[in-house]
Amino acid sequence: MADLAHGKPDQRGLSHAAGADSHGVGTRRDFLTIAGNALAVVGAACVAWPLIDSMNPAQDTLAAGAPVDIDISKLQPGQQIVVLWRSRPIFVVNRTPDLLQTLQQPQDLALLSDPNSEVLQQPGYAKNWNRSLQPQYLVLVGICTHLGCIPSFMPQANSVGPGWIGGYFCPCHGSRYDLSGRVYSGVPAPYNLPVPPYRFLNPTTIRIGENPPNEADFSLDSVVQI
Amino acid sequence: MRRLFPAALGAALLLCAGGAWAQEDAPDAPHQDWSFAGVLGTFDPGSLQRGFQVYNEVCSNCHSMNQLHYRDLAGIGFDTAEIAAIAAQKQVQDGPNDQGQMFMRAGKSSDGFVAPFANAQAAAAANGGAAPPDLSVIVKARGKGLEYLWGMGGPDYVYGVLNGFQDKPPAGFNLPQGKYYNEYFSGHAISMPPPLADGTVQFQDGTKSTLPQEAHDVVTFLTWAAEPKMEDRKRTGAKVIIFLLAMTGVLYGAKRKVWKDVH
Amino acid sequence: MAGTPSTVRTNNKLVRWIDRRLPLFSFAQDAMIDYPEPRNLNYWWNFGSLAGLMLVIMIVTGVFLAMQYTPDSNLAFNSVERVMRDVNYGWLLRYIHMNGASFFFIVVYIHIFRGMYYGSYKEPRELLWMLGVVILLLMMATAFFGYVLPWGQMSFWGATVITNLFSVIPVVGKTVLTWLLGGYAVGGPTLARFFSLHYLLPFVIVGVVGLHLIALRQHGSNNPLGIAVKGPQDELPFHPYYTIKDLFGLGVFLIIYALFVFEMPNVLGDAANYIPANPLQTPPEIVPEWYLLPFYAILRSVPDILFIPSKLAGAICLAGSILILFLLPWLDTSRVRSAYFRPIYKWVFWLIVIDVFALGTVGAHRPEGWYIVIGRIATLYYFFHFLILLPFIGWFERPLPLPESISAAVTRKNGVPVGAAPAEPR
Repeated sequence: MADLAHGKPDQRGLSHAAGADSHGVGTRRDFLTIAGNALAVVGAACVAWPLIDSMNPAQDTLAAGAPVDIDISKLQPGQQIVVLWRSRPIFVVNRTPDLLQTLQQPQDLALLSDPNSEVLQQPGYAKNWNRSLQPQYLVLVGICTHLGCIPSFMPQANSVGPGWIGGYFCPCHGSRYDLSGRVYSGVPAPYNLPVPPYRFLNPTTIRIGENPPNEADFSLDSVVQI
Repeated sequence: MRRLFPAALGAALLLCAGGAWAQEDAPDAPHQDWSFAGVLGTFDPGSLQRGFQVYNEVCSNCHSMNQLHYRDLAGIGFDTAEIAAIAAQKQVQDGPNDQGQMFMRAGKSSDGFVAPFANAQAAAAANGGAAPPDLSVIVKARGKGLEYLWGMGGPDYVYGVLNGFQDKPPAGFNLPQGKYYNEYFSGHAISMPPPLADGTVQFQDGTKSTLPQEAHDVVTFLTWAAEPKMEDRKRTGAKVIIFLLAMTGVLYGAKRKVWKDVH
Repeated sequence: MAGTPSTVRTNNKLVRWIDRRLPLFSFAQDAMIDYPEPRNLNYWWNFGSLAGLMLVIMIVTGVFLAMQYTPDSNLAFNSVERVMRDVNYGWLLRYIHMNGASFFFIVVYIHIFRGMYYGSYKEPRELLWMLGVVILLLMMATAFFGYVLPWGQMSFWGATVITNLFSVIPVVGKTVLTWLLGGYAVGGPTLARFFSLHYLLPFVIVGVVGLHLIALRQHGSNNPLGIAVKGPQDELPFHPYYTIKDLFGLGVFLIIYALFVFEMPNVLGDAANYIPANPLQTPPEIVPEWYLLPFYAILRSVPDILFIPSKLAGAICLAGSILILFLLPWLDTSRVRSAYFRPIYKWVFWLIVIDVFALGTVGAHRPEGWYIVIGRIATLYYFFHFLILLPFIGWFERPLPLPESISAAVTRKNGVPVGAAPAEPR
């Protein structure tokens, strides 16, 4: 298009004009063309930005993403509760000592894709064998890293198939995770389930969306895959 | 003749516009000096915070501001902790909880301004049948005629009403029971009792709380509340217009150049 | 477009490859670069392209605003306020859109008056003109639907008053009205369908604008002299002459538009529309947006005529005042196009302009006292102008001698740039 507007037709148009002389077509016209084009480009960019930015989350949407507090005093061992934070399901599980033990068995760890949580899918303070601040309580963003479905909580042994030691099973495409949200090898999902920033306000209240005061800042936006 | 056309067009346009909103039954409130008036006017931060105090302590007992949230107060210079403290003084209905019950909790900065009444009917019932209007955009909703040109008119009117109460109506004016006489209110008989007087609030910054001062501050706050993006708008506008002037200048030069040889 | 296909003048291989298969580039070259225009077009001819630009601005801002808007009677007002407060640059999009409606009409009205002054509707451009009137009607409908969307007091009561016009239709009027509203009165269902139509109609306008442009290309632009182009000496290529002239005009226009958007965005609107719609309280005065005021005045000015009640007569005159424009090419019997050569019409033209402004002023005021009288006279004159004055002036008037050609007229006025307003002929 630029070629069309400012290439040959330009000169043809001028010489076509009655009484146009060929000299004097030089610098001022060129300067004006360049200045005009430059201003047009700047103007177009300035016009486009408000339109684009208007589609970003609005102030009320961002404000609704403030931290939420969860009361876990009634969460029984072996049970899970799900709460919404920033329109996403957050799993909180009270893991029994038996369940915790399965998380460390070498024969199970061998089946995992990323047993040591090397991929950035959790805050630094959850990069450990139990992927949590306190081993008893697991906090996860309940969204399968494959295509965004919500994995089912299947704590019972053999509930998904023979040899199942309890974990998460995604009904959409069969991805499997253990009870730390670590993904098994050979399933469609590529990464472990993300762990959101959270901290304990007191032994029975978890605040989702805020890091513990003495830990490095972690934002959920920084994980590889939600 | 040809030159007359645009002139006539402009004049007639303004004439139509000016006439459309003229109200004859109350005098126009006198014009005040507002820091936010004019092409590059800005809000006075001290006045905004005092104005919020007036709204919070006085107006909010009857008037809602449904379009505002406590988080918006960052726009008048409160920081996160101050906003959280202001919000926490309010009780907000939330729920349902796990038992399906609604419950009350302390306000959060993402909450909307808590309304004094549950609904318009409750508001009307508690105020002699006249529901106090929501104040979110009251300044924009009360603009009149061409005074509105610079976003004015509305502030002058609200200021006028707040200062326009008279103890006794003029002789011959039949004031209905339960109404108050106000010089600038359309029809003069207003249901709102005089809300402000000297010393109604104690300003935290030590400013003397005279009636005109309180009214001036609360109107400044209400004007901000009606359009929190006004300063943004005027600043952006200045840049846009300077850009357009430059661009049009270049285009004019180019036009002259291109057409020079055509006669 | 027809005839021998032109080739695009460029060495760019990709452009040539595409153009041989899909001649977009040579079409653009024909339509926007080489396209011959009469060489004497003045600045009043800028308003066609400005109208096209306004249509684009309105559709673009409208599409983005629709992403944030909720067409529900309980939520609409709040969703608009949310756009003004919480959405990034929402205030800017809304003010551009809101004032854009006014500026679209300013541009289009000037475009129409220009056509009337220079006789642009005359043979062979009758259909071009009539398509323009269709666009005007569609714009009015779109603007009316759009004004309802913020669901303020004026939205609600404007919708009530205007839709009630349909109740004048004999026999089926009330049924039609209920069907239009989707309820007993204006309400949630009305809002939802108005939103749907407000989104639809602009694209219909785009279609009719396309036809308008096809009809324009058939015989080319009229010009201030109103005489036909006789050869290349009467023409200039669109680029660079008219591209640069249009762009300069655009710059001036945008400065004025920006002054309204950024400095006085609410001055053309009504303060009462910042009060949420209340079906239990009519505002003291209901006025439509300024660009509909002349027609509103005609609606209110008509008294009972014989056995026709005022309400029906007003509605008929309102419809007639716009539909009459369709007949303009035949009501004007002059064989000369441009008012430039019409010693009587050039004054009569200004009378109808003044008349329309008078109607606009009447429409803005309560129908009391002198406003009723002026409104009736102005309404009468409006129809008198089109139905009686125009045909008769065409017969009696003796036009001035026309120049031989555009280029002849241009060279006679030595020293006066063609772009500027031509001097009065001797």
